Amino acid sequence: MLDILSLLDITFFLLAAMGALIGIIFGAIPGMTATMAVAVCLPLTYALGLHHGLALLLGLYVGGISGGMVPAVLLNIPGTPSSITTTFDGYPMAQKGEGERALRVSVVASVVGGLISAAILFLFAPLLAEFSIKFSYVEKFLIILLALTVIASMSRNMLVGIFSGVLGIWLSLIGTYSISDGGNGHTRLMFDFLEPYLFEGFSLLPVLIGIFGIATILLEAEKGVKSGLAGTEIKIGKGGGFSLNLFKGRLTNLVRSSFIGTFVGMLPGVGGSAASVLAYTQEKNLSRDSSEMGKGAPQGLIASESANNALTGGALIPLLSLGIPGDSTTAVLIGAFTLQGIQVGPLFIPENADTWYVMMTALVFANIVMFFLMFYAIKHIAKVVLVPKYILYPIIVMMCVVGAYAINYGIMFDVWTLLIFGVLGYLIQKVGLEVAPLIIGFILGGQAEVYFVKSLESFGTYSIFFTKSPIAVVLWLLIAASVTFSVVMGLKSRAKNRLETTQ
Amino acid sequence: MESGLTSLFSVSIDFETSHLFFPHIINWLMGGLFALILVFKVVPFLAAVRRGEETLPILGESMDKFRFFGSIALIAAYFYLMAVVGNLFPYTGYGFLFVSMAFVFLMSMMYMHTKTKRKVITAVINAIVAPSLAWFILAKLFQITLP
Repeated sequence: MLDILSLLDITFFLLAAMGALIGIIFGAIPGMTATMAVAVCLPLTYALGLHHGLALLLGLYVGGISGGMVPAVLLNIPGTPSSITTTFDGYPMAQKGEGERALRVSVVASVVGGLISAAILFLFAPLLAEFSIKFSYVEKFLIILLALTVIASMSRNMLVGIFSGVLGIWLSLIGTYSISDGGNGHTRLMFDFLEPYLFEGFSLLPVLIGIFGIATILLEAEKGVKSGLAGTEIKIGKGGGFSLNLFKGRLTNLVRSSFIGTFVGMLPGVGGSAASVLAYTQEKNLSRDSSEMGKGAPQGLIASESANNALTGGALIPLLSLGIPGDSTTAVLIGAFTLQGIQVGPLFIPENADTWYVMMTALVFANIVMFFLMFYAIKHIAKVVLVPKYILYPIIVMMCVVGAYAINYGIMFDVWTLLIFGVLGYLIQKVGLEVAPLIIGFILGGQAEVYFVKSLESFGTYSIFFTKSPIAVVLWLLIAASVTFSVVMGLKSRAKNRLETTQ
Repeated sequence: MESGLTSLFSVSIDFETSHLFFPHIINWLMGGLFALILVFKVVPFLAAVRRGEETLPILGESMDKFRFFGSIALIAAYFYLMAVVGNLFPYTGYGFLFVSMAFVFLMSMMYMHTKTKRKVITAVINAIVAPSLAWFILAKLFQITLP
């Protein structure tokens, strides 16, 4: 245990704090997300050691998720998708002149959600890892299949979701079937003249930075980069001081929403908006008096913000124990870990106990820093929502370039990958395909191939995927359940739509 | 022992072509899904477009053509020139530094809707300070390779 203390120096805490601050700023600017914060700040971690890099990244993650509440409350614009339900009660409160109180309620809810989910992560991830160590290639392949099915079934349309996921897998297969994975080293899915560039396929991080950085800018550019907010007046208001009494009788809500957030975070590819929407509707259904919700009730803020911050711990559970990212931000984190030489998966926690404790420390510390920064400096932070985009966007493109270029120590093709996937990411979103399944498919595609082909090579029959072990059967049942769930939900919403159109 | 069912599922993979085994499955899967989407999504959608209920994405929407295509062109030029200038001063990161300054300024100007003296001066200062800062911290302090 003492070894770990020696790893935690002043720089470690400063980096976690800096990460939280930068994350909050990114989260607070509408249109910028925690994912972007992590992607844009990646180059900073190249030069840092493993533990310092982790401190910065986790700080960014926590800060980025919670920063989204600021524009949600003050401007009625969710800064990150997960703060959408924060606007329901936050904005009405801000208009009544209770902006500061709304923000402080949200901050307290966020930190509670973050800490509860960190505790669940701490207890649960090692158990899951220990369980999954016994998995053979067959079960590992089925886990990936399950992850992709869950993501696809959470999409607006399951067919489109599955297609997006398969497209992601396809993109990940471009390049060689690597000899180090037991392949034969031949290239596929490309033209011969591209071989010098694409021998190893597209690098993960330039792809992610392109899709989350450049594509976002293109989507904004298409809309003309409206500066709209410059003239807006921000009403923080003095009225209605904050006291912990606001939380009286709200403990159940707080804890329930945190658990909902953590659980939804664990499901791969399901974004934060699902967590906060679910927690919000649960509070609406279960609370004794929900009549004020939507008109400026603190209880709505509590549900929404504790759930969306609880995502952070939840999403790290499958990442650290199975190597499967829980959302798009953790997808970028997986790239950053690989860069630091960490292979996340079942063996990660048992083999890197020090790193694991360091990560937990960073996560808890980032939550605490986030709390103090937001609670006491909220008025000043709120002003960043007004930074003009014509200043911000060029800087973001510049940082994306640095991130992509430096990843493989100076390969210009990685920078072009940014543009290719920036444009592709733009087109994907315009024609209605889903980004989350595509990204997760891209990240897991290579592994899926290796597990699939190796299973067949050693057993020589497709039926092995059904008969290998009881776990395989359970995984198939879960896959079937998530498909059924999606189909039933789809039919329900269709029936509802039909009912509404006939009325 | 060999029953009909097990032989149906049995498979052997030739090592020489094993790099194509999984991609083949994915190709077929993708093709099949695409056909399904075509039938269940695209065709009804196009019908709705013809009836005038929906608009085509990208083509049918109003967009800021100048800023959209301008962004793409500017980014492409930025990437290209960065490498060109970078080759003139190898291992210094000057290619990144100088071309970024020009890029940041031009992109700021393009995204600015109303140009006032104050705003342009802010953009100029930003275009000089931001790349210098990034270059100094990354290339000088952290020794990260830049073009």
